Amino acid sequence: MSGRVDMGVRIGELELRNPVMTASGTFGSGREYAQFVDLSRLGAVVTKGVSVDSWAGNEGPRIVETPSGMLNSIGLQNPGVEQFCENDLAWLAGQDVPVVVNVVGHSVDEYVAVTERLDAEAAVSALEVNISCPNVDAGGMVFGTSCPAAAEVVRAVRRATRKTLIVKLSPNVTDIAEIARAVEAQGADAISLVNTLLGMAIDTRTRRPVLARGFGGLSGPAIRPVAVRMVWQVARAVDVPVIGMGGITDARDAAEFMLAGATAVAVGTANFMDPTSTVGVVVGLERYCEAHGIERVAHLVGAAWPEKGL
Amino acid sequence: MCDERGAAIEPVAVVSNERVADDVGRVVFDAPRTAASIAPGQFVHLRIARGADFILRRPFSVHRAYDGRLEILYQVVGRGTKVLAEAIPGDVMDVIGPLGAGWSVPGDATRALVVAGGLGAAPMGMLVEELAAREVDVTFALGAPSAGRLVARQLFESLCRRTLVATDDGSAGTCGFVTVLTPEALERERPDVVYVCGPEPMQRIVAAQCAEAGVACQVSLERLMACGVGACLSCVVATSDGLKRACVDGPVFDAATIAWEPSGDAEVAG
Ligand SMILES: Cc1cc2nc3c(=O)[nH]c(=O)nc-3n(C[C@H](O)[C@H](O)[C@H](O)COP(=O)(O)OP(=O)(O)OC[C@H]3O[C@@H](n4cnc5c(N)ncnc54)[C@H](O)[C@@H]3O)c2cc1C
Ligand SMILES: Cc1cc2nc3c(=O)[nH]c(=O)nc-3n(C[C@H](O)[C@H](O)[C@H](O)COP(=O)(O)O)c2cc1C
Ligand code: FES
Repeated sequence: MSGRVDMGVRIGELELRNPVMTASGTFGSGREYAQFVDLSRLGAVVTKGVSVDSWAGNEGPRIVETPSGMLNSIGLQNPGVEQFCENDLAWLAGQDVPVVVNVVGHSVDEYVAVTERLDAEAAVSALEVNISCPNVDAGGMVFGTSCPAAAEVVRAVRRATRKTLIVKLSPNVTDIAEIARAVEAQGADAISLVNTLLGMAIDTRTRRPVLARGFGGLSGPAIRPVAVRMVWQVARAVDVPVIGMGGITDARDAAEFMLAGATAVAVGTANFMDPTSTVGVVVGLERYCEAHGIERVAHLVGAAWPEKGL
Repeated sequence: MCDERGAAIEPVAVVSNERVADDVGRVVFDAPRTAASIAPGQFVHLRIARGADFILRRPFSVHRAYDGRLEILYQVVGRGTKVLAEAIPGDVMDVIGPLGAGWSVPGDATRALVVAGGLGAAPMGMLVEELAAREVDVTFALGAPSAGRLVARQLFESLCRRTLVATDDGSAGTCGFVTVLTPEALERERPDVVYVCGPEPMQRIVAAQCAEAGVACQVSLERLMACGVGACLSCVVATSDGLKRACVDGPVFDAATIAWEPSGDAEVAG
């Protein structure tokens, strides 16, 4: 049966063997999960956010489980781009899978510096500029919640690299389509969404916020309807491909995102419960296409739009 | 799925599940692969129930592993452990394991002191079995809030030369936190190595006592964990060597390397 569906999709210059990627920050550098998953079966591995110098991240507790989701305030802990290239990227380079590196910074200059450094690495297939992390004071989401700021970052990093440039947006805005159009206009090759939704949990026993920082980012199935809606809105507003994520646990969820207009999808929080989720989504999507007589998985993209009527 | 001793996902069936102390249960799983490969102090990441409702697995130390089985002691504290307490023989769940770095027994150790507060006794079962097998002379200091919450006392008494008991309310053994027992035990037993697990303030106190006595001390730290395999950075521990992940670099650490959180009134035996 298998192999009859063309599972390939295209994101900018990047040809993916299938549309299933890992969501940044939930899969380490791939190495941690290689004991459970044959990485070469994935569309791409997306790494944790990387900055110029090492970041310590936030105080603990950093996570808490919530109804059908979890809050995290990891705070972009990472070893800095040099260490990252030396260790994680060097390892990933030996794997048969495209590597997308998530880029973070406190300032436009820092985004540019990381981008320039990674542009020199052949092992990097694409960059995902994260202007949407809710867990840092300076940088992160600050850039993703205003059109001029988002446009400024993207304009600057676009000049610093010829690699495929994906921009990851925050759902914590009133008009996601407007931000998407702003980054597309500055040369983004693709848009990924969503990052986590700002949330909070309070321990009624101690009467204090559970997370050391108070607020955190909500992920998991709880956010899926919000994410699907935003993918729908953005995919209809821009011409570049959209990568959808937010609570995907199985192929049905992934198909939902593609029908809403996503060209590719990413699996995040679900990896924690089932480390093999990503491969499960790949296999399931192919079966879904077979069962529905769909020859190319790309035909699913936006098929739920009123004017398509697949 | 991976190399012989590496972590893997293993479906496990409940063999028995019973209450062993107030709010404490012992579940035995049929888990041949994990049981054969786990070392003292390592843990498993348990998927308690299927479905979208539980988003995260729960980490549990393995108390004992024998004949293809895993024994876990659990305290009922929240949603997951409540469901676990209701599991019946034949129920199938799954574990990822063995995970983490466990206790290490120095080759030349002849005397050890093991200190456990409350469910800190959980990771000590396999440890005392290993120490007994190596003919290390062990003193166990076991603490709990009350007599009804002392766990695994018989196992420790059967394998250790001395078992000292302390309860907060004095309903068994010495009245007070287990940390009242340790200075004297350190002095009298002159152990080569000390193993500690329990509430973090208690571990910090024992670590300080060991530092003062010049004795090597290993602690097992608990952190909230999402992935359990080193990918998410939810479980970090501040050490003299930078941030470490409790799930892969620990849960057992050399106490001398830990940058302890300053803490005031210690709930030291819960
Ligand atoms: C390495 C390690 C070994 C452990 N060994 C044992 C053991 O042998 N026996 C035992 O009773 N407990 C042990 N714990 C603690 C145990 O994991 C928690 O008590 C349990 O996860 C609580 O789940 P819950 O659903 O009942 O609580 P909830 O409060 O409903 O849990 C919500 C979430 O928080 C997490 N969580 C809550 N408390 C803890 C905690 N203290 N540590 C880690 N995660 C937590 C849960 O995994 C879950 O994701 C261990 C923890 C770690 C990190
Ligand atoms: C623990 C954790 C860490 C994350 N770290 C990052 C990160 O470094 N960069 C980033 O762009 N997104 C990060 N995210 C967001 C995810 O990539 C993803 O956008 C989000 O979790 C929604 O998908 P999910 O519901 O499938 O997890 C993180 C999410 C989690 C849960
Ligand atoms: S629990 Fe994910 S890194 Fe330790």
